[in-house]
Amino acid sequence: MRPIADYGLLGDTRTAALSSSDGSLDWFCVPRFDGEPVFGSLVGGAAAGRFRLAPAGEASVVERRYRGNSATLEITWATPRGRLTLTEGMVAEVAGRLLPATILVRRLSVEGAPAEAFVEFDPRLGEHHAAPRVRRRGEDLVCEWGALAMSLSCDAGPVVEVGRPTPFTVTPARPVTFVVTVAHREPLIHVDPATAWNLLAEDEERWRAWAAGIDPDMPFREAAVRSLLTLRLLTYSPSGAPVAAPTTSLPEQCGGVRNWDYRYAWPRDASIGIAAFLQAGLVDEARGFLWWLLHASRLQRPRLPVLLTLHGRYPSAERSLREWPGYAASVPVRVGNGAAGQHQLDGYGWVLDAAWVLVNAGHPLYSETWRALRGFVELVASRWTEPDAGIWEIRGDAVHHVHSKLMAWLALDRGLRIAQTHRISVPQRERWLAVRDAIGAEVRERGFNADLGSYTRSYGSQDLDAALLVLPLIGLEAPHSARVRGTVEAIRERLSAGGPLLYRYPPGSDGLPGTEGAFMPCSFWLAQALAFTGQQREAVELFEEMLERASPLGLYAEEMDPTTGAHLGNYPQALTHAALVQAALALRDLRASSGPSHRG
Amino acid sequence: MDWAGWAVFGLVATAALTAVMTTAQLAGLTRLDLPLVLGTLVTEDPDRARLAGFVIHLGAGQIFALGYAAVFALLHRATWWLGGLLGLLHVAVALMVLLPVLPGLHPRMASHRAGPASRAVLEPPGLLALNYGIQTPAVAVLAHLVYGVALGLLLQAR
Repeated sequence: MRPIADYGLLGDTRTAALSSSDGSLDWFCVPRFDGEPVFGSLVGGAAAGRFRLAPAGEASVVERRYRGNSATLEITWATPRGRLTLTEGMVAEVAGRLLPATILVRRLSVEGAPAEAFVEFDPRLGEHHAAPRVRRRGEDLVCEWGALAMSLSCDAGPVVEVGRPTPFTVTPARPVTFVVTVAHREPLIHVDPATAWNLLAEDEERWRAWAAGIDPDMPFREAAVRSLLTLRLLTYSPSGAPVAAPTTSLPEQCGGVRNWDYRYAWPRDASIGIAAFLQAGLVDEARGFLWWLLHASRLQRPRLPVLLTLHGRYPSAERSLREWPGYAASVPVRVGNGAAGQHQLDGYGWVLDAAWVLVNAGHPLYSETWRALRGFVELVASRWTEPDAGIWEIRGDAVHHVHSKLMAWLALDRGLRIAQTHRISVPQRERWLAVRDAIGAEVRERGFNADLGSYTRSYGSQDLDAALLVLPLIGLEAPHSARVRGTVEAIRERLSAGGPLLYRYPPGSDGLPGTEGAFMPCSFWLAQALAFTGQQREAVELFEEMLERASPLGLYAEEMDPTTGAHLGNYPQALTHAALVQAALALRDLRASSGPSHRG
Repeated sequence: MDWAGWAVFGLVATAALTAVMTTAQLAGLTRLDLPLVLGTLVTEDPDRARLAGFVIHLGAGQIFALGYAAVFALLHRATWWLGGLLGLLHVAVALMVLLPVLPGLHPRMASHRAGPASRAVLEPPGLLALNYGIQTPAVAVLAHLVYGVALGLLLQAR
């Protein structure tokens, strides 16, 4: 079992694959992020299929990287005879040409002497690892499962047989390119390897041009660009939905039960993405997220769903895949997500705040958008007194989460700010003002524990909650006030998991057996909070420590084992990458306000 | 052909169809917003698009009503059930032919092959427009039945 951080992300903004440093593609869902896996050995064991291209004998990894600011992954192995390089990626731009929606390209090339390699192509579809009906079309291998078909083309290489490792020789003059294309409910379109390689190269240039549009003064720009690129790769282009992660059931504790399906879109993540993209200079992506949010939530308005499918539907019921052994024996492997039915008050605050960021940046809202947002504010105004499941989606009784109340306050406050430039009736404005002030007063009174010198996880609780690190950002209290700084310090101290890592709440207090790792977005939120409270040096140090904990390819899972430093949870995780960008933006803004002192 | 009936009742039936669709949309049964989908052919502002789309939809409704009137004239009978049958045929064509090909025509509608360069913001309807909500086919069938039955009752068979 490879460590989670060993995997690199390949993607085309419609689906994604995970490829390990031993050349094994162990996760690949088709035709979309939330489709069934054809290579699922990451959590499904060997029977779930994989696609491996690797040196045949002894080899060690010399280098592994994304090429420039692109989505093309490259790994070089030293073999006894020469250096073997695997270059791989997916083609994102296929519209307007006779190309399949999914093209995966993998090329082996060698420097020095010829090198021996092998290919193992073993696609197995879905829960029951269905073997394909296999036929050959010329030199191409075609695998079919009803309406789904997949072809494998290869130039100058071996005659591949499904499920059987096949050796071949790569010579310096003749790289060997493998192309996988997928068709779902449409004819299979074959792409020859040379054309596919050129398409990948064109895509690489497009990603570089895209990355060039990101603020050149962004601190820690390389990490921020990789995060933004990862966020874009995890955004489903046909609808604009951001998936939380491309995987299901990578565990929050190895051998544990906290294994969830994240191949859905959370409005909260979309909202955080709006701010991240907009402030990094990517306006189209930011507007795209807001449009998706409003369109996807249309059926449930004014209620904001907790999560949605890529096309805005209610997720299917959560269930476990019985035969799947899980990653590192972490069962159950789940599909679907049971959090969809929860009431979470905080989501509204994120959405209104994102809309305010857009308005504040000079992008007025369409009246339909403003109508929808007013509906959200009205719902918060009428339901803020109710307990909720909170941002962490704990599957127990609802409680009065302080973070949720803060976000309810934020929804009202940002609604009022937007209303300064958008039409609203006087009675409605006055009602919102009254409710906002009432929430503020209640949170100050019931959400703060004077003995701890901190706001708490819920009313009357002694526990802390790292989500409260939003406090310096929202404006309920001055960032330098004793209450805000006390809360930030208390969280830093009492939820510390060692080094820069934080638990999101006291471990083991979610009602599930076992424990979980440190929650990495919280560390970036802490860096952001430190920046907002003027503690620039601490913020930069913390940020740098977190950068050291990235995967070798600059990716982050949701959590990290504080003892071993192993990444845990679904991977790569959009929320962690969005938090990284937000922290970098906070450092940029702090630097701008205090003069140049640091440049990452 | 009942030209006078076509001119008047085509508009009435299209308005009724639009009313059913809009009611279903407001009731949270579907995200299919025909005036928005059609109007965004000409503008990206959703509010202006709805107005433009309503006009386009009325025009399209008139064209379809012409087909209904022609069938009634050919069969020398116009009844509510015949209108309903034509409505079923109409909705089958709309859901299985017209909406699926729309991403190829619509400048602001993405297709399932859209990539990062796409600036299209309307998501594709998908099979039977299910991407706009699982009840969308049922709502569309009901709306077109209303349209067909209205024309069957109101148009003359001449």
